Amino acid sequence: MKKKILFILLSVLSFMFSKAQDSTQKQIQSLQDEISMLKKPLKTHFMIRGFAQFGFDASDDNVNFNMTSFNPVLLWRQGDRFLFETELEMEYMTNQLSVNLGYANASYMITKGLIVKFGKILIPFGSFGEKLHPSWVNKCATMPLGIGHDGLVPMNDIGIEIKGGLQLGSSKLSYALYAVNGPTIKDGTVEPTEAGMLAFDNAIDNNKNKAIGGRIAFLPFQNSSLEIGLSGYYGKPGSSVSPFATDSMSVIRDLNYKTVTALLTAVDISYVKMISEIGGVIDIKGQYTMSEVSKASYINPTDTTRMPYSFNNSSVAYYAQLAYRPAMLENEILKNVELVGRYSVYNTPQSSLWYSNKSQITIGLNYWLTWRTVIKADYQMTTVDNGMSGMTSSSSMTGMSSMGATTSNMILLHLGIGF
Amino acid sequence: MIKIKYIFGIVISIFTVIIILQSCTAQKAMIANKSGAQLWGENCLRCHNTPTPTDFNDEEWKTIGLHMQDRANLTNVEATKIVEFLCSAN
Ligand code: HEC
Repeated sequence: MKKKILFILLSVLSFMFSKAQDSTQKQIQSLQDEISMLKKPLKTHFMIRGFAQFGFDASDDNVNFNMTSFNPVLLWRQGDRFLFETELEMEYMTNQLSVNLGYANASYMITKGLIVKFGKILIPFGSFGEKLHPSWVNKCATMPLGIGHDGLVPMNDIGIEIKGGLQLGSSKLSYALYAVNGPTIKDGTVEPTEAGMLAFDNAIDNNKNKAIGGRIAFLPFQNSSLEIGLSGYYGKPGSSVSPFATDSMSVIRDLNYKTVTALLTAVDISYVKMISEIGGVIDIKGQYTMSEVSKASYINPTDTTRMPYSFNNSSVAYYAQLAYRPAMLENEILKNVELVGRYSVYNTPQSSLWYSNKSQITIGLNYWLTWRTVIKADYQMTTVDNGMSGMTSSSSMTGMSSMGATTSNMILLHLGIGF
Repeated sequence: MIKIKYIFGIVISIFTVIIILQSCTAQKAMIANKSGAQLWGENCLRCHNTPTPTDFNDEEWKTIGLHMQDRANLTNVEATKIVEFLCSAN
């Protein structure tokens, strides 16, 4: 009897054991399947990245905590050649969140040296807007003068672009050519003090023609340390309909901007190299931008005679930046420290209502917590000379303008995060 | 302003010729001789600090590779070699 019970017990146990082994085998198999699934190259891949910057600014008469930017970036890759990229620019100002579309475009690599992009693109004009604007890439807490809001550099627009990088012997050449909606010209009907200013980033074009432009960059050294870029951008910013078509005065009715042209040119330079003799990375960046809008007449609403005035509509903006990071030092703290100095200038047309002569010196000390998280401590001196504007005689301006110069100082302590 | 249109026309034609020549000729020695690691060391610090291979996984590197090929106008050989290196060392 005992033997029988033992036999039954043993067979039940062995049955259970074989079942358990079976299920372990199955589990191992399904884990292996899952791993091989994960290892298999995906056809599509989605990523959320982006950047943010916030901090604290202290000027001569104000101390402020601020949230400068929060820009989520979404990337979606299909296969090896197709990429969709989009960036939302979120800004929290005057207790309101404003959301702007930085870029949203699809790009496809047609051949090895040719990528086509379509949608809202970052305009490859100069190097700052397209390549250096994120808060963790820009080494200073602020953008150089003339770039960004109310600047003279087109940052983004809707259109089509072709671009690529090619090797030329031991040098490299890159190109980008594009056609976009283009700028509009402020005719002064909405913001009278900005008459003659160009506005970029137009979801709906005000005319039939498109702005065209391009950037060619040359990297003469085989180690790619030096890059010199030349950019051009040409467009007709005026609407074909006169904004003053119904005015009672014939001299004003005749004002028209449809023949106005805008030509922007820029030279940019970048030199970045790890130099063992100085124990770190030296980073030089610069951009010189000129804007030339053909002459037109505008009305000054504060002028009771309502006589149109005009001015030479040319502006210039430039910056030069030098940074050094002793990245080769053994010391864990010092090797993450970076010194940066930037000088930038933005001059708008004399005799326009928006005339100003601005220059700025920024001196910064950065501490890199990770490769894309940085604490930026900047001291910034800005000199603004608004002169006396709105007059047509430029000779009477010259004397006045130097009287209006004011200098303001600012301390900025910001955290820049790339995530 | 007609002049500008001509200049752009010429520039576009020159580039088209270069692109065609480029895709016909064999890869030039200089970049072909460089390893992915060297190209990564030379190119990825031009705008921002260099990320290390372990920062992302293979799929992420492929997406970033395409993104940076566009941002930095890398040649296709550079981008391919750099991504291969990053995926082999992460
Ligand atoms: C011409 C400048 C430039 C160069 C050179 C460059 N990057 Fe970038 N990189 C950027 C910019 C700009 C961004 C931010 C993109 C954005 O947020 O719109 C970025 C973002 C990134 C990101 C964050 C994820 C992403 O795709 O946005 C990674 C990772 C990265 N770069 C890696 C690299 C690597 C690896 C190299 C070397 C092959 C490289 N970068 C070379 C400009 C550059």
